[in-house]
Amino acid sequence: MKGHQIQSKIISMEIEVLDAVRQRTLDQFTEGPSVKESRLFFLLLPFFSGKTWSAEIESSAKTVSIVYAALHAHDQVREDNPISKEQQLTVLAGDLYSGIYYQMLVNSKNIAMVQKLATAIIQVSERKTSFFEGMDRSIAEVEEAITIIETELLISFYKFYGYTEYESLAKQALLYIRYADELERLQSKNYSNFLRELTSNLNHKNYVEHWLVEKLDNLHEKIVKSIDECSLDYELAQFLLHQITPHQHRAEQLTREG
Amino acid sequence: MEKMKLKLLYSDLRPELEMIEKELEQAVDSESLLLNDASLHLLQAGGKRIRPVFVLLAGKFGDYNIDVMKQVAVPLELIHMASLVHDDVIDDSEIRRGRPTVKAQWNNSVAMYTGDFILARALERITEITAPRVHEILSKTLIEVCRGEIIQIQDKYKLDQNLRDYFRRIKRKTALLISSSCELGALVSGTDEKTAAHLRRFGYFIGMSFQIIDDILDFTSTDEELGKPAGSDFIQGNITLPILCARKDPEIYQLLKANLNKELSDHERLEIVGIIRNSSGIEEAKAMSERYLQKALRELSFLPKGPGVKTMRKIAFFIGKRNF
Repeated sequence: MKGHQIQSKIISMEIEVLDAVRQRTLDQFTEGPSVKESRLFFLLLPFFSGKTWSAEIESSAKTVSIVYAALHAHDQVREDNPISKEQQLTVLAGDLYSGIYYQMLVNSKNIAMVQKLATAIIQVSERKTSFFEGMDRSIAEVEEAITIIETELLISFYKFYGYTEYESLAKQALLYIRYADELERLQSKNYSNFLRELTSNLNHKNYVEHWLVEKLDNLHEKIVKSIDECSLDYELAQFLLHQITPHQHRAEQLTREG
Repeated sequence: MEKMKLKLLYSDLRPELEMIEKELEQAVDSESLLLNDASLHLLQAGGKRIRPVFVLLAGKFGDYNIDVMKQVAVPLELIHMASLVHDDVIDDSEIRRGRPTVKAQWNNSVAMYTGDFILARALERITEITAPRVHEILSKTLIEVCRGEIIQIQDKYKLDQNLRDYFRRIKRKTALLISSSCELGALVSGTDEKTAAHLRRFGYFIGMSFQIIDDILDFTSTDEELGKPAGSDFIQGNITLPILCARKDPEIYQLLKANLNKELSDHERLEIVGIIRNSSGIEEAKAMSERYLQKALRELSFLPKGPGVKTMRKIAFFIGKRNF
């Protein structure tokens, strides 16, 4: 499959997801659903690789994307923005998307998938809350929490349809994207709960940056290796490396170091 | 006192409700200590448990098996709880049922994740039931409830809205989930379609009556009785039936218009509450609630006589006359 075909499939899936959750008031007052290209890519990866695929599986993949959008909406709720219309509708957007994913799966008579996704949402909610518990955790525990937050929904989908061979690659890549985002946040002093916990663990902002860069390098190596193990064809591998997980942070860092 | 009366009405169902209470506690059990605390905090604040009660009572018209009934009753109460915890973020409410809300006790993010967690637990549980019709009804209800809340936000601070807007809102916000509780209870116990339809309509009418009474109580009760400031609906810009009826008086209309979307002192708030309380709006709203109550009772008259009907009638009367 050519790069432009991959891109085109991702875009058409994105449009279908947006159409499924469209609501006039929400469109007007909220930032709208977040449908990340990287997640769509990994949801469609078995299809791109020529694995068994069907309308039912594609519909199921869409619902996973809607769940990501629902949970993302609730991540946007702030503490310092109490009763703005935008905030109120953002809460409801997340709830509405949850209802829509449930209804879509019910319409395709896929109740078992509803259960799998509900279990994944429980895991994700538990890990998101863990950042407010104020407990002393090791870095490994923090990393495990972030991994579940980023990948549990997708992994449930893979497990349900027997696409487990892509599990490691997807975990590495989605974690890579999250760490690249966190590095950007760190550099722009827009601290997330994850960065705060990492800073308190590592004691200094400079160590956090170093830790993230090292993680990114390490994950990048693993991604390249996993691509080989999954036997992705050349075009697909190039798309993944250049569009989904570009190794930009390294080039930026080298530029900064002169 | 009133809660005691309600418990007496439920006395026939006591063992089942105790079992459901335990199941609710188990359902919100989590690896996360914080989620555990937040969910139990919400659960222990109590509530009327109207949805599980209607599931169980509707089940009495069919092949009643508590092990099956609880598979519906528990998730429906969890769905209601999840919506409450998110509603408190939407309304920026500090107190519910006399206790700090989850968002006040912890923060907005914890409230959001608690709601997501509880809703997911509800879906995880109800998917133990494979009957497609159950999920068709429930998923449609969830969507309609959200749409109702979205409309409520659209309609906030609009004093010139019509009665139809109000009824459309409370139908989705409250009546549908109660109606679905009755219908799902009937479905999983295998009642015939006609009985299920009467029960669904009973739930709908009683839900409408219930919400109107709730909106009246926001003006006629004290802060202590409500467990939150009286007149909260008006403060939050929610235009409810007592206001819509009272606004016919030009003086009251002007007063409401001048104070809507304004930071009110306690004195100003209580003054407005007093004016609405003494207006014809309360009596008119009560009459409207009574009409829905009568419609609900009419649906019961089509059902086979028995203890189920008797308890439903008692609960319906109680809802019509309740003062908390």
